[in-house]
Amino acid sequence: MSKRNLPARAAMLVLSAAVVAGPAVAADPPGKAMYMGSCSACHRPDGTGVKGAFPALAGDPFVVGPKSQVVGRVLNGRGGMPAFKADLTDAQVAAILTYVRSSWGNKAEPVNPADVAAARNGGAPAQTRSLQAH
Amino acid sequence: MENQVATGAGVLTRRRFFEQLAALGGMSLAVAGLEALGFGFGSARAAPPALSGGAKGKKVVILGAGLAGMTAAYELDKAGYQVQVVEARSFAGGRCQTARKGFKYTDLAGYDQVCEFDEGHYINHGPWRIPYHHLSTLHYTKLFGVPLESFVNDNDAAYVYFEKGSGPLAGKPIRKGEIAADARGYTAELLAKCASKGGLDAPLSAEDRALFLEYVIHEGRLNPKDLSYKGTDGRGFAVHPGAGLDPGPGKPSIPYAFKDVLDSRAWYVLSSVTEYEQQRTMLQPVGGMDQIAKGFERHVGRLIRYSTRVEKISQGPNGVSVAVRDGAGQPSVITADYCICTLPLSVLRSVQMDASSGFKDAMADVSYAPVNKIGLQMKRRFWEEDHAIYGGHVYTDMPGINSISLPSYGWQGQKGVVLGYYAFGSEAARISAMPPKERAAFALAAGQKIFPQYRESFENAFSFCWHLDQNNLGGWAEWSPEGRANAYPVLVKGDDRIYLAGEHMSYLGGWQAGAIESAWQQVERLHARVQQQA
Repeated sequence: MSKRNLPARAAMLVLSAAVVAGPAVAADPPGKAMYMGSCSACHRPDGTGVKGAFPALAGDPFVVGPKSQVVGRVLNGRGGMPAFKADLTDAQVAAILTYVRSSWGNKAEPVNPADVAAARNGGAPAQTRSLQAH
Repeated sequence: MENQVATGAGVLTRRRFFEQLAALGGMSLAVAGLEALGFGFGSARAAPPALSGGAKGKKVVILGAGLAGMTAAYELDKAGYQVQVVEARSFAGGRCQTARKGFKYTDLAGYDQVCEFDEGHYINHGPWRIPYHHLSTLHYTKLFGVPLESFVNDNDAAYVYFEKGSGPLAGKPIRKGEIAADARGYTAELLAKCASKGGLDAPLSAEDRALFLEYVIHEGRLNPKDLSYKGTDGRGFAVHPGAGLDPGPGKPSIPYAFKDVLDSRAWYVLSSVTEYEQQRTMLQPVGGMDQIAKGFERHVGRLIRYSTRVEKISQGPNGVSVAVRDGAGQPSVITADYCICTLPLSVLRSVQMDASSGFKDAMADVSYAPVNKIGLQMKRRFWEEDHAIYGGHVYTDMPGINSISLPSYGWQGQKGVVLGYYAFGSEAARISAMPPKERAAFALAAGQKIFPQYRESFENAFSFCWHLDQNNLGGWAEWSPEGRANAYPVLVKGDDRIYLAGEHMSYLGGWQAGAIESAWQQVERLHARVQQQA
């Protein structure tokens, strides 16, 4: 696949996901599928986390607190949580966090891509990955 | 760099030229090679500390029977201490474990797996290779008579498969040796031509320049007459040489175009020398990495309480007491004079502990890496039979895969277990959200792009996600520079009667040598303290 084709393909994927996800599963908010993919292994599909290991997102004051802090946590990681800044776009982080902040009883204002972009500007650049570790 | 280059367009051009070469690993061939001359290899410590002078009747409780815990137990027991080891799992070894037929595993997401590999086949889903200079690990393999064999950590015949480059080589499996020959050959050609015209601003005397040219010609396998790179036999043949007149001398292979090599970004796998811990010469225990754990266990197994979880660590002026709960749910308390705690900090930070707030805060400062591996049993060793790849790694930029590794055991046997992915960080988190069957399907889809025989040869899979293991919550500790500067020294010092040991308490993070050398350091400190007492 050529480099030139990549953004076009990515855009097509996003587009088709939106087209399919929209009418077919009308009940699912846009961030849900991405949450299931990137977050649910540890925080669990219902946001309850794993006691003593991964914090619950449902009913967590940090999650529904100031946007900049929550966005920073997703971008830069902490503790057992990896940094997602190299893997998720501003729009994806915003959609996931909007979903998390409005699900399982959480009620907090949505996160916009602009919020993520603002948090990114202050952050350290992504590290280049090694081929192997250990 | 750019703003320093104001002295003329010529300098700027040369500088850019060097920057481009540096990106290719070209100049680093020379520079890093020289630096390496002064570089001392081998573990900082090759043998355990001599613990002389007696144990003075002291008792030590060790938390965790991984390599750090068992190293501490072995050395302290030998020195005369009363030792008790507490281990949450039903087996010893910690991360030093191997999945083979019948190996059962349930992760935090509730996924149950039983390994179904054939007898004799295995995957080291934890540590899997030992650099030749990890003398501490090799100390114990020798001491315990653990047989070793070569682990192929670098293989010019293995493919590089990069999808995110551009040009005709992107998204195509290319032999690593071809990329290496061409990238370095063309780079050497540029350098040689530049140097021969006096075009380098490096202060080379006429004599040095002649030697430099000689070196670059040798390095890039150039034609000495016109300093051109036209390919070389080491990158392979279009028709391999053989007997008689046909094939006779064979037909040389044609190098890729320099632009195509650059565009492919496959040169990302090349560097002058390997990283310190990714040596080309590596070793593995015959039959699985857990043979090292079993070697320790033969000597200290009698000291271990298995299937016993730590609930609380208390300490006072007269000793420590550790509240534990065994597999049957029975609570008990173990008392001792000192505690060596080898639990990963990811797990330890949710255990109740009598320690200063500064110590506890320091534990929060380290992160643990999500790490995934998957073993795929193949009914035929197609990588050997059809591709002539004997061990080593296929590097790829496919997210969630990272590398596909071919086994360094069972050469030319019928079946083999391939490492289908070895991924870290957010990519690992994503794949681990899938049930085991989907993880295998994901790995197969990726491998199929490189090996046409991949899917049809597949029999069964065993996948492991270290961040979803309740006894580890991550593959290894990852220290930020701030964490190393502030939290790490606090934790290395310990908190009164509690000493911490493990890979996380070393600069050999994630390696068995780090666990062992950290244990050596902490038992030495503990012993020195005991010796100071009347």
